[in-house]
This record gives sequence, C-alpha cells and structure tokens, in this order.
Amino acid sequence: MERGLPRLTTRPRIGSIAKHVVLIVVAGIVAYPFYFMVTSSLKDTLEAIRTPPTIFPNELHPENYTDAWNRAPWGRYFINTIFVSVSVTILELITACLAAYAFARMKFRGKGILFTVFLATLMIPSEATLIPRYVLMSPSRVACAGLPCLGWFDSYQVQIVPFIASAFSIFLLRQFFLSIPNELADAARIDGAGHLRFLWSIVLPLSIPALITAGLITFLGSWNAFQWPLIVTSKPDFRVVQVGLSAFRQEAGSSYHLLMAASTFVVAPIVLLFLVAQRYLVQGIARTGIRG
Amino acid sequence: MRMKAAILAAVMLVTAACSGAPPAAQQSTEADITLSGPVSITLWHALSGAQQVALDGMVKKFNDTNGKGITVTALNQGNYTQLYQKTLGAIQAGALPELAHAYESFVADYMKADVVVDLGPYKDSKTNGLTQASQDDIYKGYYDTNTFPQYGNRLLSWPFTKSLAVMYVNNDILKELGKPVPKTWDEFEATALAATKKDASGKVTRMGFAFNTDASYFNAQVYARGGTLMATDNKSVAWNGKEGIAVLQMYDRMNKNGSGYTPKSFDFQSDLATGKLAFFFSSTSTVPFMRDLATATPFSWSITNLPQAATDPAKAKTVQFGANVAIFKSTPEKQLASWLFIKWMSDPDQSAQFASTSYYMPVRKTAAESQTLKDYWAKVPQGKQGFDLIQYSSPEPNIRGQQDIRDVILNMITEVITGKSTPDAAMATATTKANQIIKDAQ
Amino acid sequence: MAAEVIPANVRASPRRRLPIEAIQAWLFLLPAVVILGVFQIFPAIAAFYMSLFRWDVVQGSFRGLGNYTDWLYDNSIRSPDFWRALSTTFSYVIFTVPLEIALSLVLAYLLFQKMRGRGIYRTVYYLPYVTSFVAAAAVFFWVFHPQYGLVNDVIGIFGIGPQRWLDEPNGIFDLAASGFGITLPEWLAGPSLALVVLSLVTIWHYLGYQIVIFLAGLSNISQEFYEAARLDGANERQIFTKITLPLLSPTTFFVFTVASIGVLRSFDSVYVLTNGGPLDTTRTVTLLVFKTAFQQAQFGLGAALAFILTLVILLFTLIQFRVLGSRVNYG
Repeated sequence: MERGLPRLTTRPRIGSIAKHVVLIVVAGIVAYPFYFMVTSSLKDTLEAIRTPPTIFPNELHPENYTDAWNRAPWGRYFINTIFVSVSVTILELITACLAAYAFARMKFRGKGILFTVFLATLMIPSEATLIPRYVLMSPSRVACAGLPCLGWFDSYQVQIVPFIASAFSIFLLRQFFLSIPNELADAARIDGAGHLRFLWSIVLPLSIPALITAGLITFLGSWNAFQWPLIVTSKPDFRVVQVGLSAFRQEAGSSYHLLMAASTFVVAPIVLLFLVAQRYLVQGIARTGIRG
Repeated sequence: MRMKAAILAAVMLVTAACSGAPPAAQQSTEADITLSGPVSITLWHALSGAQQVALDGMVKKFNDTNGKGITVTALNQGNYTQLYQKTLGAIQAGALPELAHAYESFVADYMKADVVVDLGPYKDSKTNGLTQASQDDIYKGYYDTNTFPQYGNRLLSWPFTKSLAVMYVNNDILKELGKPVPKTWDEFEATALAATKKDASGKVTRMGFAFNTDASYFNAQVYARGGTLMATDNKSVAWNGKEGIAVLQMYDRMNKNGSGYTPKSFDFQSDLATGKLAFFFSSTSTVPFMRDLATATPFSWSITNLPQAATDPAKAKTVQFGANVAIFKSTPEKQLASWLFIKWMSDPDQSAQFASTSYYMPVRKTAAESQTLKDYWAKVPQGKQGFDLIQYSSPEPNIRGQQDIRDVILNMITEVITGKSTPDAAMATATTKANQIIKDAQ
Repeated sequence: MAAEVIPANVRASPRRRLPIEAIQAWLFLLPAVVILGVFQIFPAIAAFYMSLFRWDVVQGSFRGLGNYTDWLYDNSIRSPDFWRALSTTFSYVIFTVPLEIALSLVLAYLLFQKMRGRGIYRTVYYLPYVTSFVAAAAVFFWVFHPQYGLVNDVIGIFGIGPQRWLDEPNGIFDLAASGFGITLPEWLAGPSLALVVLSLVTIWHYLGYQIVIFLAGLSNISQEFYEAARLDGANERQIFTKITLPLLSPTTFFVFTVASIGVLRSFDSVYVLTNGGPLDTTRTVTLLVFKTAFQQAQFGLGAALAFILTLVILLFTLIQFRVLGSRVNYG
C-alpha cells in the first residue's frame, strides 16, 4: 500500500477538484515543451518549421526516427552512455553512503573542516578547473606538478572515475542519515553492532527514498553530461549521446523534425527509467513504515 | 590600405626572389626534406554532417593515393568554440595534434605560444612547395587573411574551408513586384520596403530583409559601401566611418518601417523558402540548407553580391570568411607530411572536388576548369554564382582581440534594432570599446 | 540496571573508543577523499596557481593578486564587467530560487497525498529535468518566439503587445512602466525581460527534480506525527505549517542551499538560451569566466574570476547556514 497522507475525507469536494485543476494546469505548462518536441518529431520537413506551428501533425512520419537514427552511430553512443552512467551511479552511491554516514554518525576530528572542503568542491565553477582537469587526463609527462599525467583521453575511465565521488550526494545522504533517530543507534550499539552493520542493516533500508533520489540524480547527471565528455573524447567509439546530439543539432540545420526525433529518443530511456524508479521510490517509502 | 599593399608587395617580391635561391634559414631546410618512412598525422576539425563526410572522403583518397606513406586521421572536435577550447587545452598539456582547423583569430592566439609553423618556406620550397604559377592561381585574399602583420607578416595558416558573404534572393517575390535584383543600397532599401506586406491589424506578414547581428555581415556591408575595417597601422578601427554609420542608419530605418526584422536562429532560411522573406545576407555555406528546403517546398532563389556603393563592378567588395588550417610545430617529418596534405587539398582537382561535395569555395581560379566543378554547378547554379564573387571578397581583420570586437559590433547592432541607442550613440560606444580592446590585446 | 545490560566489549573506556571510531571514519571517507582530492581539489589548486599569473595562452609573469584586483576595482574594463555580471547573477538567483522552491514544495505536498494518477503527475513534472537544455532550448526558442511564439499569442488575448522575450534587453520595470507611458531612470529599469524568461525556463527545468527531493523528505516524516495531530483536532493548514514544514526543514534547507549554489554556478542554461545576451543583460559570472578563458585565452584572469565567484558562493552559503541552519529541525 502506498504510504502518504491519508485521504482527507473530511475535506469538502471542491478542495479535491481545485487540487486536481492546479496540478493539471501546471502539468500542462510543464509538459508543453515536451509535447512540442514529440509532435515536431513526427511532422514532415516543412510542417516542422512552419510558423505558427501546428498543434498536431497533419500526417504522422515515424520514419523520422529511423532517419535520424541512421545519421549517426547512435547504437554505439547509447551503449557507451549506459555503461558510463550505470558505473558512475553504482560507484558513486557506494562512496557517498560511506562518506555521508561518517559525517552524520561518527565522531572524528576535522569533521567540520572536511565537510566544508567537500562542499567547497560544489562551489567552484567547473569552467575554472576545466583546463587543469583536461591537462590531468592528457598524456603529458610533466604537466601534472612535475609528474606524468593520466593519459586517459578517449576511454571509459576518463568519463567514470572523476565522478565516483560527489559532494552533492554526500550532502544529500548526510541530511537523511542525520534524521535517523538516535534511539536506533543506541539500540544497535547495545546489541553490539558496529558502524558497518548499523549502516547496512538499519540506516540504508530506512533511507531507500534518499538513495533512489540520489541515484536518479546521479544517473541523470551522467546521462546528460556534455561538456566533459566532449572535451576528453574525440573518437566516436567512446562518445556519449549528448555529444552526439549536440553535433546533430549543428548539422541538422532546418531538419528540425529530425533534430526533435533525435532529442526524443535521447530523452526516452530516462523517462522510462523514471517511470519505473518512481514506483520503487514509492514502495521504498512504504517499506520504511512506522518504526521508532 | 596602401601601406598594407606595399607590405604585401614586398613580401611577394622577397618570396619571388627567394624561390630561386638556396635555403638559408633553419626552417627552410626543414621545408625541403623528403620523407624517409611512413608518417601518421592527426587533423582536428569542426566539420559535421555533410561537410564532415566530404572531408572524410578527401582524407581517404589522400591516404590511399599519396604514395609517401602518410596517413591522416581527421577528428571532429565539436563546433569552432569547442575546437578552440580543446586546442588551448592541448597547448597547456603539450599534447597538440599535427594540424588543426582554425579561424584566423585562433591562429593569432596559438601563435602567442609560438606553436604554429611558418608556412612561407613550405610554400616556396623547391622540393615541396608550389610553383609560382600555382601560387598565383590561389586567390590573393586567401593569402592576405592568413598573413599576420603582428607576427612579422608570416603566413601562418592555409585556406581550407572558405566561404563568402552573399545576398540570398527570393526570385518569386521579385518577379511578383516586377523589380530587378537591387544593385545599390538605395534600390535595396526600396525593394525591401516594397516587398513588405502587412495584414489588417498591422502585423507584418512578409518581410523585406532579415537583420544579421553577426559582425561579419556588418563588415561585409562596410566593405560594400566602400569603407575599410581597420586603420592601416592596425591600431584602431576604421569601420566607424560614414559607411558604418550608414549601415546602422539603414537598419534603424528598416526596423522602424517594418521592412526589416530580427530572425531567431535559422528562421530566415525557412522564411525565405516559404515566401515570407525577400532578402537575407548569409554565407555561401548556407546553400545546402536552402537546397534541402527547396526539395520540401519549391521556390526560386539565387545568390548574388551584396548591393554596392561602387558603380564600377570591378570594384565590388564583400567579406570572405571561413576557417583555415594551421600546422603545429612537431618533428620536421610530421610537419612536412601535414604540409603535403594541405597542399594536396588545395591543388586544382582536390579543391574542385571538395568544393563540389562540401559547398565550400574552391581556393584557386583554375578549379573552374575542372569537369567535377562544372557538373556540380550545373546541378547547383548558386555554387557558380558564389564562385564568381570570390575575386571580390576581402578578409576580415586577423588581429588578437578580434573575437571580442565581434561581440562589440554585435551589441552595437542590437542596440540599434532594439531601439536602445541611436546609430551615432551606438557607434561611438562601440568604437571606444573596440579601440580599447585592440590596445589591451597587443 | 543499565550496567548489567551493557556487554563487556562495549564497556571500554570512552576515551579509547574515540580514536578507533576516528580511524573507522577516515576509512569510510577514504574513497571520497581520494577521488575528490585528485579530480576536484588538485585541479582547483592548479587553477588557483594559474590565477596568480598573467596567463595569456601561455604562462607569463607572476602577478600575485593582480588578476583579482583587476576584477574587483583596478581595471577600467574588467571591474565594471565583473560587478555587472555579479549583479546579473544575483538577479538571476532572486528571480529563480524562491519561486522554484515554493512551487515545488506546494506541488510535492499535493502529490504526496493519495490521489488518482499521481504517478503520472510525478512523471510529467520530472520530464523537464530529464530533457537536456540542448533539446529544451530549441523548443523554448519557439515558445518565446518574437514573431510566432505561443506566449505572444497568449498575452495578445490580454491586450499586451508582442514581446521580444529572450531578445529583449530592456528592463522589466521599464517595459511595464512604458506601457503606462512612464519612463524610468536607467537604474530602476530592473533585470531584462530576457533574464526573467531565463529564470522561468530554469524553474521549469528544475521543478521535477526538486519535487522528487521534497517527496523523499516528506516520506521521511513519521506517520505518527500526523496521527497525533489529527487526534488533537488540527486542521490541514495547521498540520502543514506546524508539522510538515518544520519536519521538512532539513530537506528544505538542503534544497535551498543546493538550488542557490546551482543557479549561482549555472552555465549550460544561460549559454544555450542567450549566451549572455542580449546586450550582456544575462551575462552571469560563469559566462564571463568562459568568455575570458575560452574566447580571450586569458586563463589567469579567468581562473581568478572563477575563484572570486567561489568565494561569493561560499559566503552566501555560510550566511545561509548561519541564518537558516539554526531553524532546521532534525526531529
């Protein structure tokens, strides 16, 4: 059973209708650009650029999708993107759980300073560190403070390893772990459980919504990453979908219908993922139940 | 302008004198070696879509036929800004490719790190260079733009993907109006106004002209009105003269009477194709996009030179742009291999072939004799229309800071067409800023 | 008695437990420290090093804090550029964050309740976030098109003339006032319409993302509180303000912090939608960093500006932690 606030049966009906109206109107505004994208992807060349735009395609042209697909090695791009994003998400969740737990529930000297340093990494704009990070990945033998650099251009690790830790996920999970009731921690200590067991058996199950949230955000960040993959990969073998889409945007010119088709199939997997994950998010909420 | 011509004449003279003499400087020895074994080189470029396919075709042909063991790998690095970013990063990392696609202003920046090879010795080398006749066959403007006065007038890059600013015309609208293609600016303004149609509520349904805020088209219009862009000493701008003001005033008038409008992204292309627009200025590289549109909705169009102030057609002018290719310092063998590739690309047959598949302009006059190009022009008459105008095209400034000056010009034009400033005020602000930029960048 | 229940291995002296826990903590932190250290902190130090030099394509002379003072007051072009960019960035934050949070909080609360179709609503609200700015921008150019856009059609119904939206450099207060025939002085003109549109697009983009975080936060509030409150006879509004909001405060605080940092740092949205225009009215500090480093090849100055921005963000966040952090309830 889905957990949520119990249905407000004492409310007058008009409140419930008003709620739906608000939600639908906002949903309409929010979804319109997406609707526009999908309908444009099914129009023919001329109708797609027609001004003012038609609300619904005059004829449906699903072949736009195969056309757009054939114009670039999208299959390869998708495999690359899935591999990179899944790896980043799993590894990042692991490091974030451990780190967040340490910050939230362990005592050690320098905690405050370290947390500030971690947060600071969120604040430095990536444009500043772009060149040093690029140099770090280059095959140069001396540019990294006198030491050889990593030489990871055109690889998978260059797109995965730098993102295995993120101050954002650590921050998010820390906030959640902080609200685990202290009584639970005391009980666990009395039972003789160490930190690792407490984390694994109690804290994590209670934090499933937070984990799924962090995981979704990380996955999405990786899926939509564009600037970094562009600068560290040149060969199509390692290219990801956003880089492919950006290049497609340039060459599509007035072939707006194809650009929209490509944009749609780049977005579709994530939407499906969210549809599925969102159900587990809800189940996760239910599973936490009423404890403590 | 005369000073610049004099310098250029001197350079040509010295070059001519040297082509017979034995090489003396260290670098000219480098230019005359022969390759001893197979060489692999990498080209970074910013071409995508059909143009990338065209380049890949040329690269494959070179790899298969060069007979010297040279293998070229061409890699797309995104758009020009991204390519520039990466090349700068590569300079910091000491990991440059052998050659890169580059605008003149990029080359000026790369030269600050002294990583660009001087192509003069290669061009003039008896072993590996071009004959005098061949050199003269290449349009002079292409040498000019790749010669950098701030670096001792050295030839630091070679023409590669050149195009020029032209006027696109919807012939159907002109026929309907019974007017010819405008040749002067007054005719242009009048025809654009005549083409403008408004509906009952006063909303414009057909426009005369699509404004460009891009600096290159401003420069083109200044040239076409008989002006110059830079002072002869390259220390201040010259586009703030009466010609530049005239451009802004025309934009102002056309904005106010509704014959001009500001398109978003590529709107102007589809607007012309669907009969909503009579004229726009764009690069010859827009031809393939217009052709695509023409297959979807047939319409009659052509390209022609911008309206001119000069009555003598031989004095017509427009702007030449597009990117070039620069060779980075590495080993003598790699440098030579790179030179041989770009030289091959600019030879008559290849220049014609690349032009017919990529829609860029051939770099030499005799390309017109090639059958490939003639066949292409039979299919794409606008290709020939563009080619005929190359001789009238002049380069834009290639000094450091030019990219920033382009932003200043963009803002200047935007101020006028959004009504924030009068032409005179906008010009004054822009001139001060531009001159300051030049001062700071040297 | 407590002493009998505590097993022997836990009865160690408190002083001895601390160092072991500290070691364990550092072990837990090790992967994060290594990765962040190598891939974020080390490059940041390198960038800081660059900021101390004139670095015009290549490393030049040592300038100490010269690059910084250029941005802050010393240079006749750079200083005005910086302060204008900072002001633009703050306007962007002010127009985006509070509205973004209020909207997503309300929507999350509505969605949290049992109702039909909430799975669909949630997915719909999440759509903008999954659509990359590259794809979304193309659509928004159409929606806010100066000639053919939907928004112009809509406001036309209310009798307002077509606007230039993303191309409009004039300030919103100025535009509104001129509708009544009043001209405002330059400094009262307000942020440009383009910036406001940018804010709207940003809010659109992050709505679903924040709703999801708020939903997770809402789910963390134990049912017991609600049941107890209902038993006490509290009505919906009281429950919302006295139970939900306070207990949600760790999440709200998190979202507020992260959203502010996000907008202060944002680049992609601005770059793709306006690239700093029109007339530099949407030129945020990040865009100025980009232009300095990747158009002018002035890496020293670019790095210095980025660090100035970092300090601004740090200050802003510390103030937030101080002012709002004290009001957070950890339950």
